[in-house]
Amino acid sequence: MRPTESLRLAWRSIRGHKLRSALTTLGIVIGIAAVIAFVTLGASLQAGIIGDISPDDQRNSYGWAADPDTEGGPLAGAQPVFSQDDLDALNDDEDIDAAYGYMPLSTQALVYEGEISPQSDALVAAGPPYIRENTLEEGRQFEQGEREAVVNPAVAGQFEEDLEVGDELTIALQGGQQTTVTVVGITESSEGLSPFEGFEPSPRVYVPTDPFYTEDAAGAIPGGGGGGDGDGTDENGEANDGGEADENDEGGDGTDENETDTDAPDGPGDALFLAIVVEAESADESDIDRAKESALAYLESDESDASELLGDDLEITLQTSAELLQQLEDVLDLLQNFIVGIAAISLLVGSIGIANIMLVSVTERTREIGIMKAVGAQNREILGLFLAESVILGIVGAILGTLLGLIAGYLGAWYIDLPLVYPYEYVVLAIAVGVLVGIAAGLYPAWRAARTDPIDALRYE
Amino acid sequence: MATSGTGNEPDTDDTGTAVSLQNVRKTYQLGEPVHALDGVSLDITRGSYTAIMGPSGSGKSTLMNLVGCLDTPTEGTVIVDGADVATLDDRERTTLRGTTVGFVFQTFNLMPRLTALENVALPQLFQNVGRGERRERARELLERVGLADRADHLPNELSGGQRQRVALARALVNDPALVLADEPSGNLDTETEADVLDLFAEFHGGGTTMIVVTHERHVAERAERIVHLLDGKLERIEDLGSANASDEADT
Ligand SMILES: Nc1ncnc2c1ncn2[C@@H]1O[C@H](COP(=O)(O)OP(=O)(O)OP(=O)(O)O)[C@@H](O)[C@H]1O
Ligand SMILES: [Mg+2]
Repeated sequence: MRPTESLRLAWRSIRGHKLRSALTTLGIVIGIAAVIAFVTLGASLQAGIIGDISPDDQRNSYGWAADPDTEGGPLAGAQPVFSQDDLDALNDDEDIDAAYGYMPLSTQALVYEGEISPQSDALVAAGPPYIRENTLEEGRQFEQGEREAVVNPAVAGQFEEDLEVGDELTIALQGGQQTTVTVVGITESSEGLSPFEGFEPSPRVYVPTDPFYTEDAAGAIPGGGGGGDGDGTDENGEANDGGEADENDEGGDGTDENETDTDAPDGPGDALFLAIVVEAESADESDIDRAKESALAYLESDESDASELLGDDLEITLQTSAELLQQLEDVLDLLQNFIVGIAAISLLVGSIGIANIMLVSVTERTREIGIMKAVGAQNREILGLFLAESVILGIVGAILGTLLGLIAGYLGAWYIDLPLVYPYEYVVLAIAVGVLVGIAAGLYPAWRAARTDPIDALRYE
Repeated sequence: MATSGTGNEPDTDDTGTAVSLQNVRKTYQLGEPVHALDGVSLDITRGSYTAIMGPSGSGKSTLMNLVGCLDTPTEGTVIVDGADVATLDDRERTTLRGTTVGFVFQTFNLMPRLTALENVALPQLFQNVGRGERRERARELLERVGLADRADHLPNELSGGQRQRVALARALVNDPALVLADEPSGNLDTETEADVLDLFAEFHGGGTTMIVVTHERHVAERAERIVHLLDGKLERIEDLGSANASDEADT
């Protein structure tokens, strides 16, 4: 018998039991759907976050101080402990190419040519190297001590007339005061420049820590940690309350300025940075390790201001973005293994379901098997017929599961605002799994059918 | 022409013999053994027309199953188309069933979820005949048994007699050299019965070997000879002469 004929006959007998067949495939549908949904989500996450890691920040280590028990990404539970003196000391270290503070600042609005665009958390104060040359679309880095800013395309394109290099931009800070900066550069993408910012695109203005944080902004938001700068810092807000140095809350009303003087207990009016970036000499692993070790050694030694503030609760984390992403990937991997485990169980249950229904079907159709054999059907043709049936069940389950999984995955990716990625190879894999499950589940029942003795089968009532 | 006997005659495998039974015994072990067939020897010449009669339970269907290569004897040999059925493997026996033998079962044995046309075409499905050709052939046979207008009916939408005719059409579809019919007229009215018997005669006239089991004398009398079975034994063979042998062959 030709394979197409087997498939045609098998399809007919499946259609003869629509409900039964549908219920039988359910286990496969659920298993495959779970895998596909997760893979779609995972691939989208990968593309949305991990895929964006720029190779040129490889020599950067990102550091912050938090309770070691705090769970979460970069800056989770971070407390401001890094003083300008510490940074200066790190900069003098020969293992370290550059070290600068990082401070997210809360804003109220951006104003360009009289046009007001409300923006919270759009301001990031950092050192000039934070703007890497190759991330600039045009212009240059800002310089320390100047009222200059680099903006990303999300900011530049926000106004009726696009912001250009050389334009003046006014920033209304959370505290109420306004400051005007000259735009000296525009980045090429609106995604975050480091793990601190998170990786999803959002409007940001990058300014030098001096004067914007150490002078102006320090008054407004000493503790920083303005909730919106990426995934990690959302948790940061809640974890903040433990720190002595940071008494004001996120809401940061206009009167904060007055309290700030008391906020810097140690330094000579020094502002404290929430985080630091340490640049190694090169992207070499050994250079990076040395830079990290030197930085940590200094920060934890009695010489540093930071060590005073750390107390017993806080610990400094200093990691490269690759390491930070690795943690995220580890979580993803764990989740993936978990889902795959569930899917495997579901597929197993699904196969047992198919095998069970196929056995029932073989018994029900004993007489039909006898008739077919009596009129010349060979054993392998009977085997093929029943195998075809279970393989069709497996494939139909796989296809339905794939569709369902894709829909669920896309809805999920869309909901958390990730780019959609099509995991084609998994679709193919899912169909292959459907075929395999069909064969595995159908083999025994089909073999039972094939070796049925025709004379017994014809006598079967 | 046909030879018969209770002895163990060594059969020269001359091509003139379509079926040869030698001292065939079929025993079922149900507590005490039941001898469905108890030492039957019988030769059936190619192209002959044989009727088998006997009371219920005398072993007629058992004999047909052996000749139809569905079953194997407990003792003795059954030779069909020159081959000892017991020595054939399952695949060869199946091929013999599919190509050489056409079997009309006492209980029709139609596939309940296939239409009349598909039932008739079924044996050709297993002989790798193309779909179009299969349907054409099946339609032609349904026409010959007078069921062209019922081609798309399922068996449970057909009367007993109609089902029997579908079964008959199916048995003939592969042009078998040997047609076995177990009570083919049991469910037919006189007129349809006559049609079916005419069809048998026509096939017989075309050179097909016919073996027909029946309870009815007038059906048996269409054959060239009648084999009487009693309690699994060959009671007697009644030769009706060659009167019937050529009545259709000439037309
Ligand atoms: N599978 C079986 N197991 C046990 N005994 C069987 C089996 N098949 C047939 N028999 C017995 O063999 C004997 C012959 O049966 P068979 O079916 O050949 O009779 P039959 O001549 O065809 O009768 P009928 O005219 O009623 O169809 C019966 O006594 C029956 O009980
Ligand atoms: Mg019988």
